[in-house]
Amino acid sequence: MARSKALMIQISTGDTRPIGRQIVDAVRMKIATGDLEAGDQLPSVRGLAQQLMVNPNTVAKAYAELTTEGWLDSRQGLGLYVATLRQRLSDAEREHRLDEAVQRFVNDVIPLDYTPKQVQERLAVELRALQPRKSA
Amino acid sequence: MWDLFKSEALRFRAWTAAVAAVHLMGLMFMTRMEDLAQQRDFVHTAFGGLYAGLGLLLALYQMGTHRKASQWLNLLHRPLPRVRIAAALTSAGVLQLVVAVILPLLLVAILQQATTARVVDLRHWMLPLSALLVTSCAYLAGAFCVLRGPRYVIAALPLLWWLPTSNAYGFGMLAVELLALIWFALLLLEAFRPDLSAPPRGAGAIATALPLQMGVYALIMVLFVGMELVWIAQGSHPNNTATPPAGGHTEIEHADPRTRVMAGLEGSHYPDVLRLKERVQNSDPRAMPIPMPLPRLPQRNELSNFRLPEFNDERRHVRWVFSHDDMRLHGFSLADGSGRGTLGIGAANAPFPAIVAPAWTRQGMAGEDLLLTAGDTLYQLVLETLQVIPRLRVEAGEVVVAVSPVGEGIGVMSDRALYFYGGKPLLEGHELLAPRMRVPMPGKMGDLRNLDLIKLDEGYLAAFVYSARSASPVGTVPFQILLRTHADGRIETINRRALRFDYPALFRYRAWWISPALYAVRAAARDLFAPPLPLDVTEPAPIPRSMWWLAAVLSLLSLAGAVWRTAGTSLSPPARLAWLTACGLMGLPALASLWLMVPIAERSARDAIKA
Amino acid sequence: MEGEHVIETRALTRRYGRKLALDHLDLAIPRGRIHAIVGANGAGKSTLFRILLGFLAPTSGESRILGRDSQRLTPGDRGRIGFVNEEHTLPRWMRVSAVTAMQRHQYARWNQQIFDEVVGHYHVLPEQKVSELSRGERAGFNLALALAQSPELLVLDEPTLGLDVVAKRAFLESLLYSNVTDQCAVIYCSHQMEEVERVADNLIILERGQLKNMSAPDEFRARVTHWVADVPFKGPDPRTVPGLLEVQRLDGLHHYLVLDQSADFEAFLRASGAKNVQSMPVTLDRAVNAFLAKNHAAPAAA
Repeated sequence: MARSKALMIQISTGDTRPIGRQIVDAVRMKIATGDLEAGDQLPSVRGLAQQLMVNPNTVAKAYAELTTEGWLDSRQGLGLYVATLRQRLSDAEREHRLDEAVQRFVNDVIPLDYTPKQVQERLAVELRALQPRKSA
Repeated sequence: MWDLFKSEALRFRAWTAAVAAVHLMGLMFMTRMEDLAQQRDFVHTAFGGLYAGLGLLLALYQMGTHRKASQWLNLLHRPLPRVRIAAALTSAGVLQLVVAVILPLLLVAILQQATTARVVDLRHWMLPLSALLVTSCAYLAGAFCVLRGPRYVIAALPLLWWLPTSNAYGFGMLAVELLALIWFALLLLEAFRPDLSAPPRGAGAIATALPLQMGVYALIMVLFVGMELVWIAQGSHPNNTATPPAGGHTEIEHADPRTRVMAGLEGSHYPDVLRLKERVQNSDPRAMPIPMPLPRLPQRNELSNFRLPEFNDERRHVRWVFSHDDMRLHGFSLADGSGRGTLGIGAANAPFPAIVAPAWTRQGMAGEDLLLTAGDTLYQLVLETLQVIPRLRVEAGEVVVAVSPVGEGIGVMSDRALYFYGGKPLLEGHELLAPRMRVPMPGKMGDLRNLDLIKLDEGYLAAFVYSARSASPVGTVPFQILLRTHADGRIETINRRALRFDYPALFRYRAWWISPALYAVRAAARDLFAPPLPLDVTEPAPIPRSMWWLAAVLSLLSLAGAVWRTAGTSLSPPARLAWLTACGLMGLPALASLWLMVPIAERSARDAIKA
Repeated sequence: MEGEHVIETRALTRRYGRKLALDHLDLAIPRGRIHAIVGANGAGKSTLFRILLGFLAPTSGESRILGRDSQRLTPGDRGRIGFVNEEHTLPRWMRVSAVTAMQRHQYARWNQQIFDEVVGHYHVLPEQKVSELSRGERAGFNLALALAQSPELLVLDEPTLGLDVVAKRAFLESLLYSNVTDQCAVIYCSHQMEEVERVADNLIILERGQLKNMSAPDEFRARVTHWVADVPFKGPDPRTVPGLLEVQRLDGLHHYLVLDQSADFEAFLRASGAKNVQSMPVTLDRAVNAFLAKNHAAPAAA
């Protein structure tokens, strides 16, 4: 049985995102970038709460959301583990979310007055940076 | 509870030890020079005041630190009943007082008993107990005032003031002190709540209200004293005008004896009055030295001494001190303090039947022999033989008050009669004398202001003026009366004339019309546990109707005020009824206490609803 | 015997002269969880606690704590309620060991293990006198005493005020991670939004003696939005701006903090002449401060 893996995330108060949201986002980011692999055990609710110095209920809620969305697996009596990567969303849902994300991105970027080519190049750089670490 | 008690008790240990040490050293020092037990009452009262001050200081500091909002919360927000918390704190405080005040006193008393020949009676062992009660009362009073707030000092002071002004003595005094202590304990307990600003309720309210009303009453009396001073300054006060008002008692009191007796003969229908007037004109009346104010007589087992029960035999350098325990005089050498035996009556050294004190006058005795009074008898201490022999005795139950030479004999005044004795047998003999004449007093001792005596060819003329307390509610209607005695034992009334009241009724009854009920309470409190003192009897004049009306009107005003005031409060109907009754019965002081005790919580709410 | 609420008040009012410290306050705090009470000074927090614990009588209204009337708390009731205040008042002349012993004897459910665990974070020696402890040590000691009582309700009134960073952190850790807080409800009063954000399950806002908000912190934060618009000239009269909490004019742009406004607010701004309108969410700190700001016009939504 694997010991729980260190969860190197930070939260900050005084952020416009609530703490629970910050935890969810950070864990998702860690999984997405491969810092957390499928089967890694996450710290306990109390442990993470203590590490971050926040209310354990907040951590519990964040973990619950992550579990519902399929990022984490709760194994009875053992704890929380990173779920194996699988299709969490339907194709239609993925399509829908991609559309929304693209719309938002475009709205945000238009006022900046870059050329589409510059924007695309920039986007390509970012996506490339993410790519190698993503396991299929 | 033990933890709390222990921590509070240890908290002051350094200070308590220091005070105890200083106190002990002070007492040891003083006791070398004076017998601390045989002091006049005002000395012991002063000590009592000092100890009360100590108790008060302790309470102010101890409760003052606990009273702060956050401390109070920390103290009372516990799973411990508030009674236990209060008990722990106060018993720790009293323990400090026992160590600092009582132990040194006890130690000094024990040393005095064990190492000296000085008299240490049972009553003296009660003095440390009295000190403990007094200092504890002051301690609880201070704690109560700290918790309730400064305005309740008006309630605490009368209860404390009760102690030095009570007429009780001996065990009675201890009982009064104990009663005051219990009262203060109840007041403190009532105040010892989480919500310190809550007004007292139920029985606690009654226990707080009565002293508060007495306090207001006392403040009004002080105000009246101030007004009297203004009256004096303004110049029309009867006692201080250049010429007293005509026909009143002040005029008579201030006159010299001859004028007084002459005035007493005015308007007399006595057949022989003209010759009497002539006789009086040519004679020299002797005024009986009536002690003013009337002394308090020594009582058995009194804690302190109304009169010092000791005197010195200079020739032998011996001091004689009277002991209440065996009712004899004990002597000890002034040189080395060793005991010199006891002294009773006669050769058998019998115990005295009453407390002995040196007579306050030596008139009429020749030589260096000492006169001693004890109750109804005047004794002579013959220094040659060191024997005490009774010389004059008045009727049983009476008390010798004053002695004056008149003609060649002497007049002896007791509280109920006037006696005449021949002078020579008194001075030269050693037997118990029978009086030549006994004249029962035509009035009460407390009212007697002047007594003038003239020796006539046969018999005596005695002029009495009864007006001593006529400026107060207990005094008699002032009058002057002249009596004449004859050798065959007849007593004739020559004249009796009424004197005018010099002070208006409003002034005379100022202690009464403010609140007749509180006046009665005050008198009852002063005499609680006190056997009546024989000298203090008077024959009070009837209270004028105008004063009754005044008191009634003030009561009604107080009731009306109470109705208006209680309308705006959150009192329950029984509580409201109780207050209305109190204001009707006790008058304006009760209204003031209502004002001080019951807040108008709901008045702003009413205004808010109207707005 | 107890209801569902640890603290309940109904039309609770407390008046000082003409000032209303508590104004017909209706509050119902459910069991469990950590509830933060936030409000400016003079909002009535201290008055509320003193009334709840029976140390002050209300002018009118009712208050109940653990289902019992506040004015009639028995010693048994008091044993179930822990209270820690900002001064961390303890008898200054007593030793730590004596204070601990007294607590241990008085509280039936004293848990020595919890006490040792919490007090172990602080450098507190049994033989020290309370007056010798630093403020942070006293705070920790006080918290240890309160937690070891195993209370059903723990009230903390600005407990970290005046503590240095290290002490503050130690205090919060002790509070959050002792097992006691699993069983007991915690009421945490604070000015410091940073702490509140970390600690609170429920955010209660009091202002001028009234309850203005009771919800999860994030729900409240989400009600406030920050709009920036280039409204010409002086812009619309502040009294006409719906849900206005705060308005500032910076560099020619109008910054609005508004409450409970949807995207329709954009329409309002455009109608007032703005060409460029943007919005963003705010931090909890900003939201609460703006809400408590004196000139906020709109009353709280129920």
